[in-house]
Amino acid sequence: MEETVISRQVTKTQPAWRKRFWRNKLLYLMIVPGIIYFLIFKYIPMFGLVISFQDYKPFKGILGSEWVGFKHFERLFTEPDFWNILSNTLLLFGMNLLFYFPIPIILALMLNEVRITFFKRFFQTLVYLPHFMSWVIIVSISYVMLTMDGGIVNELLVQLGFSKINFLLSPEWFRPTYIIQVIWREAGWGTIIYLAAIAAVDPQLYEAARMDGAGRLRQVWHITLPAIRSVIIVLLILKIGDVLELGFEHVYLLLNSMNRDVAEIIDTYVYTAGLRQMQFSYSAAVGFFKSLVGLVLVMLANHLSKKMGEEGIY
Amino acid sequence: MKKKKPLSLALSAVMSLTLLLSACSGGNGTGTTSNGSGDTGSNANGSTQKDDSPAQITVMLPLNTAETPTDTIKNELEKLTNTKLTYQFFPADTYEEKLNTAFATGSLPQATYLKNATTFLLMREAIKEGQFWEIGPYLSEFPNLSKLKPEVLDNTKVEGKLYSLYLGRPLARQGIIYRKDWADKLNIAPPETTEELFAMAKAFTEQDPDGNGQNDTTGIADRNELVFGAFKTVSSWFGTPNNWGEKDGKLLPEFMFPEYIDTMNFFKSLRDNGYMNQDFAATSKTDAVNLFTSGKAGIYIGGSMPDITTLDKDLIKNVPTAVLDAHSMVKSPDGNIHQWMIAGYNNLVLFPKTAVKDEAELKKILGFFDKMMTPEVANLMFWGIEGTHYTVVDGKAKPSEDKELTEREVKGYKDSVIGEAETNGMYESLNELPGRIHAEELIKENEKYGVKDPTAALDSATYALKGVELQQTITDATYKFIYGQIDQAGFEKEIEKWKKQGGEQMIEEFNASYKK
Repeated sequence: MEETVISRQVTKTQPAWRKRFWRNKLLYLMIVPGIIYFLIFKYIPMFGLVISFQDYKPFKGILGSEWVGFKHFERLFTEPDFWNILSNTLLLFGMNLLFYFPIPIILALMLNEVRITFFKRFFQTLVYLPHFMSWVIIVSISYVMLTMDGGIVNELLVQLGFSKINFLLSPEWFRPTYIIQVIWREAGWGTIIYLAAIAAVDPQLYEAARMDGAGRLRQVWHITLPAIRSVIIVLLILKIGDVLELGFEHVYLLLNSMNRDVAEIIDTYVYTAGLRQMQFSYSAAVGFFKSLVGLVLVMLANHLSKKMGEEGIY
Repeated sequence: MKKKKPLSLALSAVMSLTLLLSACSGGNGTGTTSNGSGDTGSNANGSTQKDDSPAQITVMLPLNTAETPTDTIKNELEKLTNTKLTYQFFPADTYEEKLNTAFATGSLPQATYLKNATTFLLMREAIKEGQFWEIGPYLSEFPNLSKLKPEVLDNTKVEGKLYSLYLGRPLARQGIIYRKDWADKLNIAPPETTEELFAMAKAFTEQDPDGNGQNDTTGIADRNELVFGAFKTVSSWFGTPNNWGEKDGKLLPEFMFPEYIDTMNFFKSLRDNGYMNQDFAATSKTDAVNLFTSGKAGIYIGGSMPDITTLDKDLIKNVPTAVLDAHSMVKSPDGNIHQWMIAGYNNLVLFPKTAVKDEAELKKILGFFDKMMTPEVANLMFWGIEGTHYTVVDGKAKPSEDKELTEREVKGYKDSVIGEAETNGMYESLNELPGRIHAEELIKENEKYGVKDPTAALDSATYALKGVELQQTITDATYKFIYGQIDQAGFEKEIEKWKKQGGEQMIEEFNASYKK
């Protein structure tokens, strides 16, 4: 936690870091609530992971349940659907990264180019409002629009002389639907950080570039983008950390018998296999595995970004 | 870890609570609870006490309304039963989680209601572990509890022993609710066979029953539920066994019977021809009901015929001339009528050993439930206070017009009444809608043709472990078949998969349990 600082002044009575610590004691006091929060809500519950190595029975408690070693992990890896579920999860995540991640950046750059403040504000509000809608509402709206039983989109297709498309119940339409909904809901919200980063760019740089005859696009390419480069990298690493956080609720709402082969992800599997049948140990084991995958990916991404000469997140 | 899902949050909360409070689950009886119920029927009123001091009882139950009910009913109830009651209501949506948490921390109250039959399946293991009181031997001491139907009690036994009291439900409430005005207009009689049901759906789709000159009606409105949607009800009319059936002296799951395939083909051709909503596999109950009450669909097979009252109310708002009727007597191809029959209960109440210390305390609590099965108390809890929440007309209860008041004050308690009108003597409901009266007659009639689920009281370890997951395989395959994604060979393949993943064991376990 504390930063050890190489001291230039060698004092015999007390090390330099202690002095600095004492001088900034109020600042250090401010992080105490944060530390307590992480201890209580992030670190203590981690001990709960031990139940993934037990046959946990609620009424016996952690201390009284029987130890079974890697039994639940074995069950997970030998589950016939396991690789399918893992690849669905990774594919969906890959699409998320590929199609969703760049959009807020592009949107932020576009908003930044709007010169009239009123319009800028107006559009910004307009695009980030959907973030405040719950998935239930978004999926319901989509259902009403896409259903074959009188949905607007299908009615329109018929009017235009095409045949109806089964959006809701076909495996091939699940991923596009998912991604479009994610973009629609989150793109605007994602622009906030980028816009803040863009706002911090020194205007003199733009003036200098204009003097050198750079047009609008040139300025974006040579000044704005490099300026927010490190922000993009940090957000990318954080996003990768959430590799398997695809939003249980969202996928669960879209999931049905017809698209399960492509739509079942680790989260929904934990829910159906574990929690609905009170198999806490098994669910914990699956969740544990998921966290490990996320951890490995973050470390990898961080390593790569350091290689590229960027900051990284630690 | 930026965003936390509520699910993992709940799980970690359960874990951490367990860790912190596992000390309490040793049954030290202090009842240190996480849900603020301090009173777990203290040992103060021990076995030596006389019965004239009010028994202190804490009850935990699911709540199906938005707000906790007021104390109006509770105060009356305490007077009538000479008790001091603490009711802990928790929202039905998250009740299972609450139950698990309270269970894990050893803070279940003396009378613990479950949520439904499925929750009971999950609790069986804990029951076998001896976490709850066996009450079978005590029932004979209580005149009213003895009236509970033995056939329903049998369905709730675990390894032949009784641990719970049940909340009764009619055994066979399913049937179709259809537009009688459309049928009359097109001269269609209520369908007596599955073919006639198909013909009705066809006519309702093609013959413009609403007379607006447009092709905008469908036959059946169904939803994404095989059991409580249309599928299971129709499958029983095809003669499919109820979940499990006997073939050559051996129990087998329903989907291994040819009638199940017939039912799938029936729905496949309904959907292929457009005689039902195309997207039914992704349609929620609300949307299916809307399809029907907006006047676009003519047949609703949603599991329970008493729904006709609410459906009628919403439909006549949109189509004032609409008339609804219920129907359930549909013959199978073999010429007989078969009706799917549930286990006769929709919820149970259990008595945890962590909260109920000794026999004397258990008897006090059972005494309270015994009084609950007298007409006076049952009426109070089910209907409310006479003159305020209901009036008696022709010996039946007529709910007052002020539905909101009843919802607010009574509904919470209504969902906890033990037994059924026949056994606890409460008023039947007064129905004025002809369709509803007909529905109630059909429900009584249905019982004569009821087909039981032979595994209701049987045990299978694999079923407890993977039952839900395995059923999902078959449910998916059934939809895929109906939607033409797989053929019969593909369906057989899915059955093989089911067998391999544990279905084979399940068949063996149920049969072993069956032979006992």
